[in-house]
Amino acid sequence: MLAEWENFVAARLGELWLRTGEHLFLTGVATGIAVLLGIPLGILGFRVRWLRSPLTAALGVFQAIPSLAMLAILLSLLGKIGALPAIIALTLYALLPIVRNTLTGLVGVSSETIEAARGVGMTTSQRLRLVRIPLALPVIVAGIRTAAVISVGIATLSAFIGAGGLGQFINRGLGMNNTRLILLGAVPAAALALLVDFTIWAAEWGLRPVRQKQRGMLKARLRPVALAAPALLVAFGIVTSLTKPMPFSDQPGAVAEPIRIGSKEFTEQFILGELMAQLIEGRTDLPVERRFGLGGTMICHGALAKGEIDLYAEYTGTGYQAILHRSGLFDPNEILRVVRKEYRERFQAEWLGPFGFNNTYAITVRQADAETNKWRTISDLAGVAADLTAGFTSEFQERADGYPGLRKTYGFRFGETRDLSPSLMYEALARKQVDVICAFATDGRIAAYNLDPLSDDRHFFPPYHAAPVVRMKVLRAHPEIRTALAPLGGLLDDATMQRLNYEVDEKKRAPAEVAREFLAAHHLID
Amino acid sequence: MIVLSDVSKSYDGGKTFAVQGVSLQVAEGETLVLLGSSGCGKTTTLKMINRLIEPTGGTIEIDGTNVLDRDPIELRRSIGYVFQGIGLFPHMTVRQNVEIVPRLLGWPVERRRRRAWELVELVGLDPDFFADHYPDELSGGQQQRVGVARALAADPAYLLMDEPFGAVDAITRDTLQQELLSLKSRLGKTIVFVTHDIFEALTLANRIAVLHDGRLEQVGTKKEVLTRPASPFVQDLFSKPAEQLSAFKNVL
Repeated sequence: MLAEWENFVAARLGELWLRTGEHLFLTGVATGIAVLLGIPLGILGFRVRWLRSPLTAALGVFQAIPSLAMLAILLSLLGKIGALPAIIALTLYALLPIVRNTLTGLVGVSSETIEAARGVGMTTSQRLRLVRIPLALPVIVAGIRTAAVISVGIATLSAFIGAGGLGQFINRGLGMNNTRLILLGAVPAAALALLVDFTIWAAEWGLRPVRQKQRGMLKARLRPVALAAPALLVAFGIVTSLTKPMPFSDQPGAVAEPIRIGSKEFTEQFILGELMAQLIEGRTDLPVERRFGLGGTMICHGALAKGEIDLYAEYTGTGYQAILHRSGLFDPNEILRVVRKEYRERFQAEWLGPFGFNNTYAITVRQADAETNKWRTISDLAGVAADLTAGFTSEFQERADGYPGLRKTYGFRFGETRDLSPSLMYEALARKQVDVICAFATDGRIAAYNLDPLSDDRHFFPPYHAAPVVRMKVLRAHPEIRTALAPLGGLLDDATMQRLNYEVDEKKRAPAEVAREFLAAHHLID
Repeated sequence: MIVLSDVSKSYDGGKTFAVQGVSLQVAEGETLVLLGSSGCGKTTTLKMINRLIEPTGGTIEIDGTNVLDRDPIELRRSIGYVFQGIGLFPHMTVRQNVEIVPRLLGWPVERRRRRAWELVELVGLDPDFFADHYPDELSGGQQQRVGVARALAADPAYLLMDEPFGAVDAITRDTLQQELLSLKSRLGKTIVFVTHDIFEALTLANRIAVLHDGRLEQVGTKKEVLTRPASPFVQDLFSKPAEQLSAFKNVL
């Protein structure tokens, strides 16, 4: 067990180092900017009394924006993924504690001391500079510590927008139901939070006046170290993340622009991303940059539309409904025709040939129950639905193409409905905690747990055929991408995709390894 | 010379007065004690002299100039002020506290450092030992000495002292009073001193101004206020301690 862990960590030590550096870089730069902005803002709020409430209220609003939404908003405003939107988001979150503590600290200086400052003839700004700010410093530093620790936590979400950091491990782990990966990100992130907190405390300790009775050699010697500690930490982050290996072309001479491949944050997307990346690497001279694990459809699509990634795998139904906001069609070919046309016109992006499988929602029961009760279609459940317990993801319960639409189309509802996370529902069904789930058709656990997806006889669920979506500009510049990816067209049926997903989800293998094995088996790469 | 003419202070637009119609003169080199119980307006009167509080009516002149015609910042730097309670800056060392007015006046570092050294010595503390201490490492009496040193730093002609020895024990207070007297005889400052302690007033004052309910009851030499009280209030004020004193003597 311990040896396994050692191997697991040892194999990822290089990446762990890089991600920790990125994490420190994001947190340090954002906290630094927040300090440079927040302390003057706090002082402004102190000087201009009527500004105080609007200022803290406005900063409170930033705090209330969910992080993922904030990242999506910044992507659409800036048109960029990566460190920039992540740093801006972190800065906005870090401002409130710094501004608020600056205000509290400045206001809290005793009126006796301020009277003395007036009495010796200090001007308003001298009172601020020589008396209020120095006396407020411990409170201000406490605010900075709060901000920095919050930032370390929130920075784990930066992975959703391609900024790296320890969130890479956490998101991958969550997406692939891999506890070890989650821990590989979460444990260092927690340690980092403690370290950052301690470091800023140390700096504040270094700034504190030295009392006569403490005037030993120790503090005098440690003081410069304590003061420099936060700077050293940030410098480590900057150096590590700037010296990360850049993708270079094999060809001597000019360094080619890498093809940037994106993916969403779940298993199938990581595998599809790897399949496409390895094919392009193996069958063209183009270098590839992997920007995997972006935070969902909106961020992937936004990044593609803004030219921040060049291609990723999207599902026809998602493009049709979530991106184009269309409905009414059911035929897979019709839908593909519509998204292809609209994507060309609106986003200058091309849908290549679908991989073959249809990752739609599948109302799924235990095989044993299906056999006993002769259930084959969703309609077969109509008579008994009131006695069944359903386990649905919260998203499925909300989406129009989820449970609400299902009820309308089939005219029945289940007796009880429970909220389940996508990674837990298969096991919950197998263990008879629930009777029905909204499985994803290509999930490997359907076969592994002897589950049976019922057929959608009223064609309620739109088809979700996955296909590579590529920026047309890139496709024109590098037509070899189309050729390289062509063999994937139709190669992956539902069962094949289920099997690949299973290798990663349940056998905890790396998506890159599973993809390489598959491509090699089909003689698509060496 | 400080001249107060018909000075008033009201916080509610003239309905009630913290100080009303006070006229006083403080002669060059004298110590005038403002004496009265708490709330009588003595501290308010003192603070109006360096414009920590702006008068509502009347005029205050220092050396012939109305204080309202002077820049309040410059005015305060030119007058030494010793605060009630502590009033030292807790984040500054003894040296930094004493240096503050010279620093604000832009003296060169060398000069103000030398000055601070002198003054700490002058108020009876060893600068080698105390200069780099913070106020919270000092006793109450030591802190008050530093407060006096700070007020004297820029060598002002006038010193305003607001119950400076109120927070120290009786023995230390006695020492500090004696030291102030000796300082004064050496430095010849003009001092306005606020206290509610009759014995302190009698020890330090050249003249005493008795305030009651914001009004000036009497101003005169120690002998005048004791032997010819101008009002029943002044008579009562001094008779109580006199009785206590004679009771004390009788026992002996």
